[in-house]
Amino acid sequence: MSVAAFPPTEDNVLQDPLRFERRVPPCAIVIFGASGDLSKRKLLPSLYRLFFEGRISTEFAVIGSSRTPMSDDQFRERMRESVSKFLEDAPFDESVWRSFAQCLFYVPGDLSKPESYDDIRNKLDQVEKSHQTAGNVLFYLSTQPSYYAEAIKALGAHGLTEGNGWRRVIIEKPFGHDLESARKLNVEIHKVLDESAVYRIDHYLGKETVQNILAFRFGNGIFEPLWNRRYISFIQITAAESIGVEGRGGYYQEAGALRDMIQNHLSQVMATVAMEPPSVFDADNVRDERAKLLRSVRVMKPEDVPKYAVAGQYGPAKVGGQDLPGFRQEPSVSPDAQTDTYAAVTFFIDNWRWAGVPIYIRSGKRMPKRVTDIAIQFHAPPLGLFTQQTKSGLREARPNLLVLRIQPEEGISLRFLSKSPGSGMRVRPVSMDFNYGSSFGERSPTAYETLLLDAMNGDPTLYTRQDMVEASWQIVQPILDVWAQTRFDFPNYPAGSWGPKASDEMLARQGHVWRIP
Amino acid sequence: MSSAAIFPAHPENILKGLGKLWTSLGQEESHQGKPTVMRACAMTLIVATDEPDCGYYASQTISELMREHPSRGIVLAIDKSAENSLEARVLAQCWKPFGKAQQICCEQIEILSSPDHWPNVGPTLVGLTVADLPVIFWCRHKGALKSSATEEQNAGLEVILDLSSKVIIDTAGEETACSFALISRLRREGRVLADLEWARLTFWREPFAQIFDNHARTNKFSNFHTIEILHTDDKVTPSAAYAAGWFASLSTAKINVSSTKGFGPGLHAIRMISDEESITFERTGPECARLSSSTGRQRSYSYAEPTLYSLLHQELSILGDDRSFNAAFSRAGEFVR
Repeated sequence: MSVAAFPPTEDNVLQDPLRFERRVPPCAIVIFGASGDLSKRKLLPSLYRLFFEGRISTEFAVIGSSRTPMSDDQFRERMRESVSKFLEDAPFDESVWRSFAQCLFYVPGDLSKPESYDDIRNKLDQVEKSHQTAGNVLFYLSTQPSYYAEAIKALGAHGLTEGNGWRRVIIEKPFGHDLESARKLNVEIHKVLDESAVYRIDHYLGKETVQNILAFRFGNGIFEPLWNRRYISFIQITAAESIGVEGRGGYYQEAGALRDMIQNHLSQVMATVAMEPPSVFDADNVRDERAKLLRSVRVMKPEDVPKYAVAGQYGPAKVGGQDLPGFRQEPSVSPDAQTDTYAAVTFFIDNWRWAGVPIYIRSGKRMPKRVTDIAIQFHAPPLGLFTQQTKSGLREARPNLLVLRIQPEEGISLRFLSKSPGSGMRVRPVSMDFNYGSSFGERSPTAYETLLLDAMNGDPTLYTRQDMVEASWQIVQPILDVWAQTRFDFPNYPAGSWGPKASDEMLARQGHVWRIP
Repeated sequence: MSSAAIFPAHPENILKGLGKLWTSLGQEESHQGKPTVMRACAMTLIVATDEPDCGYYASQTISELMREHPSRGIVLAIDKSAENSLEARVLAQCWKPFGKAQQICCEQIEILSSPDHWPNVGPTLVGLTVADLPVIFWCRHKGALKSSATEEQNAGLEVILDLSSKVIIDTAGEETACSFALISRLRREGRVLADLEWARLTFWREPFAQIFDNHARTNKFSNFHTIEILHTDDKVTPSAAYAAGWFASLSTAKINVSSTKGFGPGLHAIRMISDEESITFERTGPECARLSSSTGRQRSYSYAEPTLYSLLHQELSILGDDRSFNAAFSRAGEFVR
């Protein structure tokens, strides 16, 4: 993002912002949970990639910490294997790795034991001198969420939240498991850290195409005037996964699709699509607008939940000649689990721009394909001049649809009507396409690369703030409460389908249908 | 790549040829029943060349660039063996992203001219640029850039220069003093100018800039009193002069430019020396470089000789004035011997 949290170019006369990559200040990154999956698959490959591209300062160090006893060299060797395996779309260079590995350190420890923090402080003091990290430290909590409050409290108690430079803490999702726990966690965190030092990560916001929504809306003059209830009929946000729970059955059983996707990722995407333009493009203003939008979402009454929210769970099915298990047949899942592996919700935003426009959000596992997109359906013209005579009768011409594709084929397409060549006024829908990958042939940074750089630069624009987190819990909490009291007749959709029938019926009540992405 | 027949290079013929080309691509598309071709254009990119390959290499480079910088490419090949001719053909450069059904296409015009038709080329090009988009001129016509250029060459070049919002040249391998005289002249005429030799220096300049981003660093840039620039050629090359000019525009350090044996071509190493520390960035092998400090810290870099594609990509991303280049160039002449 463009916020200049790091000193402006004039401070370093050698800088050439036209040609050089964005600057990152010296710092040390402490990763708690360094032997975990996230570190191996995402964090270390992203940091290596940034180092390879020369985007990370030469004054840089990573201190990994977890319970597993390891030496620095053993940690380096383990990370080397992970980085070479999980590096996305990029080369692994042995000589660059050797330089990078010299910046990797490991401190074995247990977050519940005070001596672990002393060991980390000693290591930080050491790298501040040896790697000239200027006393700047970014802590990354990639641990079990139940440790967050305890770890932050201990960081404060051991004087690790203060030092010669800045101190910041990145916290992975889930941030709380409901509104109350999220509030409690915020209170605990704020006893130690100022909100400005807290970076709650939502990797969806780091995706290039989610950021591009802001560029698309506020960098162009022609769309924003149409971006309201007068021209838009409804919005559909879909995040479908073709895979099941992939060995995470135990975790997922407690979470479910509503908590795992809609409360965080998709509500933030909704806020990005529907927020008002900020007066200035900086972290505070952008996040103010997102938070304001989330606070404008109508909170459902319990009696409205069955009407506006649908829970689903996949059952077994045969797809492509392969037998797929139902959720209840997955390892570590209870045979009578009431978990929602699919959730669809109709939200309404009670403000002047969006009053009366339904925003449909759905997310599910074991759907026909992996896709995330946002479809903005415009109203039909007031007078249908171009209805078509077809074999099955008179068909109304289909109105405009704007699709913002987040993954996998990032891009934007606009459907509109065009006259078919030849005599007579026959119309057909055509599509105007912008493909992100093909328009910018360069490799896009991964979401974690973007977000780690932002945190090092002190730019929290793409991180969620306390009020945003609480507002997004607020809008899903009534649904969670009602569902907790409901005995569902699961499974209600077969693996490989687009979800339960009840979800189609929810839209049919508004006169709409789900589009097939 | 779809191509059409060769015809006389009048603007109207060429534009008609382009129209037919897109119609035929559209017809191919309609056989499939759904859109399979997307036309992309963000600029007019004119390349003039007097190389014996009649613009083949330039065409290939435009084709590589189209993913990041889709353009209407106009390759103007001046060929001595083409007698009294000025002819053109149009074609589309297309690529299909992996796993996609839709091709993305850019249009390209190739004009072959005999040297005596140079003055007629300019008016043809005036009618061929895309409206409302920048016109970039990549001049690979070495003859026209020389002080010994003929009157025809000068006249032909002048028209294209006047059309262009940015002019890109490459002084690599050229005699430095003559190259700098040319650049000075073009700058005096008010052209926005880029030299790919300056773009090659980005790899060398960026690591030094990063070092001084650290506010906690006690040994500041201004403490470095000597800067050594080592190159592998007998005479001071444009890249060595640019590097020296860049440092000279930013500091009062004593700057030495000298020749050495090492990995080239071009620069081999840059060393900054202060009373407390010396920092060296040097090529350590054909594919690697190292940044090291006398304090003991070092870091390896992967090195690849910059391709024309990567250099042009860098330049096409900068459409306005390049202040660093201007400042470096204004001092670089002091180091040309």
